[in-house]
Amino acid sequence: MCASLLLRTSVPAGLHLAHVDTAAIFGRTVVQEAVRVERFFLVNWVLMQVTLFATLWVYARRGGRFARESAAGPIGTGMLLGMLGLGIVWLVQLPFRLLDVWWARRHGLTEAGYLEWAFGHWLELGGTFVSLCVALLVVMFLARRLGEIWWIPGAAVFVAIGTFFAFVQPYLVPTSPLHDPGLQRAVTQFERRQGVSGIPVSVEDVSGTTSQANAYAVGFRGSRKVVLWSTMVDGTFSDAEVKAVLAHEIAHHSSNHIPKGLAWFALFALPGAWILMRATRGRGGMGEAAAIPLALLVVAALQLAALPAQSWISRRMEAEADWKALQTTRDPAAARRLFVGFGKTSLADPNPPTWAYALLENHPTLAQRVAMADAWQRRQPAS
Amino acid sequence: MDDERPRLPIRIVVHDDLVRSRVTVFFRGLLAIPHLIVVSLWGVAAFAVSVILWLALLFEGRAPKSLQSFVATYLRYSVQVGAYVHLAAAPFPRFGGADGYPVDLEIEPARMQARGRVAARLVLALPPLLLATALGGGAFFGNVSWVTRQNGLGSGGWSTGVTMGGVAATAAVLGWFAAFARGRMPRGLRDLIVYAIAYTAQVTGFLLLVTDRYPTSDPSRVLPFAELPDHAVSLRLQDRLERSRLTVFFRLLLAIPHLIWLSFWTVLVLPAAAVAWFAALATARVPQALHRFIAAWVRYSTHVGAFLFVVGGPFPGFVGAAGSYPVDLVIALPERQRRSVTLFRFWLAIPALLVSSAYSFVLFVVAVLGWWAALFTGRMPEGIRNLGAVSLRYTGQANAYLFLLTDRYPDSGPAVRDRPHHEQLQLELEPPPAPTREPHDPPGIEPG
Repeated sequence: MCASLLLRTSVPAGLHLAHVDTAAIFGRTVVQEAVRVERFFLVNWVLMQVTLFATLWVYARRGGRFARESAAGPIGTGMLLGMLGLGIVWLVQLPFRLLDVWWARRHGLTEAGYLEWAFGHWLELGGTFVSLCVALLVVMFLARRLGEIWWIPGAAVFVAIGTFFAFVQPYLVPTSPLHDPGLQRAVTQFERRQGVSGIPVSVEDVSGTTSQANAYAVGFRGSRKVVLWSTMVDGTFSDAEVKAVLAHEIAHHSSNHIPKGLAWFALFALPGAWILMRATRGRGGMGEAAAIPLALLVVAALQLAALPAQSWISRRMEAEADWKALQTTRDPAAARRLFVGFGKTSLADPNPPTWAYALLENHPTLAQRVAMADAWQRRQPAS
Repeated sequence: MDDERPRLPIRIVVHDDLVRSRVTVFFRGLLAIPHLIVVSLWGVAAFAVSVILWLALLFEGRAPKSLQSFVATYLRYSVQVGAYVHLAAAPFPRFGGADGYPVDLEIEPARMQARGRVAARLVLALPPLLLATALGGGAFFGNVSWVTRQNGLGSGGWSTGVTMGGVAATAAVLGWFAAFARGRMPRGLRDLIVYAIAYTAQVTGFLLLVTDRYPTSDPSRVLPFAELPDHAVSLRLQDRLERSRLTVFFRLLLAIPHLIWLSFWTVLVLPAAAVAWFAALATARVPQALHRFIAAWVRYSTHVGAFLFVVGGPFPGFVGAAGSYPVDLVIALPERQRRSVTLFRFWLAIPALLVSSAYSFVLFVVAVLGWWAALFTGRMPEGIRNLGAVSLRYTGQANAYLFLLTDRYPDSGPAVRDRPHHEQLQLELEPPPAPTREPHDPPGIEPG
């Protein structure tokens, strides 16, 4: 019942998206290059996943011996094993990440250097280590105290932590306010049309890192915010196209997509925690440090298994935001130009392979987004 | 244990009675100027000679005796000047150096040296040079100095003379005040300076081809006679030298949870110390519960420091339990403390904190060198591990003093070895691995 409530969308139920001739819209050369670029990323992703699971499989079998490197108690040792597992995964994935950077640099998708990519994210990695430690602290503490029913309060604690981070995330990214008065006026107008108000719009400086364009909505309730990458407002896109993006991001807030995302997380967390409890039972349960290497493998497998559903939910929300944006701006031509522009700047395949679409695409494809703009236009009475 | 190991070819000899003349102490820096000029000029000459030595060793395989003696004599003289400048010795040295100086070197030059090691001497000397810079002990022929001109542009260049800075300089400055006030140099500070000078002499001797024995920083070998007096806080060292390369590689990241937890704990310890201070003023004793709480924090910070700086191998626990980590502090139960010392505790602790911060820099260098060594060999070199342990012991004692666990002042001496009756530092090493070479074989390279 919760899921059906969360799946409600303002996209008309019978909306038919017509076939789009991608070669005609995006240009044959762009499509061919995008397909080639995307294919490399996909193959690399598959190889990375295979390596990830092979590594975690070996670590699940042999990682327990690192417990002798610990003078801490069971929870501290569990933290050590968890962090080491994460570190090993980071190491084995490093070559694949570097390949990604090489390919992205080759096609002008990033300006970052190899060293910067390989080692410039230590702070981020440190943050992940800390997050993992907090997660293990919670789970192992509850498992040691409550036994096998830890997964019920455990899932609740994770949802609470996720909610907290979703709330504070807007304050963690350094941004500057959007100064363009024309765009600011448009924001106020869009907010009014979508029935929301007071959503600040900021710009995140990504110059020197990437040439791709992006925007996102973060926070909820008092911390709501829309962030545009600086590449969005550097003149590459027209004002009408940027307005389409702004309307899309505001639509995420007006449709409560972030709280809904948290609700979905809660729905997934509960069975996920239960499966984790069952899977680690043979190693003494999550209260024992020896279970942690196996737990890492199980969590990675759960994440992969949940990926199609997550992507589907995300695509549904993005489609709703696209539709609301069209309703708000009433400018399908700008939306169309925007998506075509994305195709050129991001070299995203407008029609990716089905398996990649099902697993990895968290937005409708560019072809689908263009088709939606066309469908919206068709539904308008002729004037 | 020390007797079983071959003697160092460049070793320090100390016959100093710690007594100082206040007048010469007061003017020490000025009095040393003529010696500093001579030692600088001699340093240039010794460097030039060592280039000839390098060529001779490289092509002939043996060093001309006269040239090596020239450099060795310079080395002895520079040690005597270094000891005089840093107040580790009292008498004004003889120009050119002479036998019988209270702080002197015994040198066994190696005329035959392996060509490969000679060829790569400068590269091999870089790690110990880094450590010698942190220790800052005495006179070695050259150091990179950065000169800032009036227009704000900086330039780098080589200079000769006595290096100042690091642990030795800190100890010398503090020793200057103590010796001027009391007419006597504190033994701990004197030993620390002598250690720094002795290590630097080893490094210089290695670099200038007097010997091909790689310098060791192990305090128990460099300064085997150093003693530690009884103290309420002592180090218990049971750590194996083997390291897991994986935990070494990710050491900094693995330490993050501990650093966060330590920060939180520190926030709680500060008000606890304030309460303890009032209690100690009123009753001359810190309440047992507070003592236990602060002692656990001091122990925990030592555990975390040992792990972070690769001095210790395993991942520590989070509660600072006594005996839970192989690099541990043994802290005595609460004892009566002098109220006068308690009243001015913070101000009295400042010199100890200065030495502690100098030791911390050494610890940082130890960590960098040890990290690389442990990553490649899977083993922490004993010398730098022990130096790191001494640094941690001092920092632990300084913290214990500042946070009212004891009113005994920290002992800055770099002693490591367990000594009967009066030494508190308990070194309980694992059984040493089977020797890989005979004592009389050419010495191998031991990083640090």
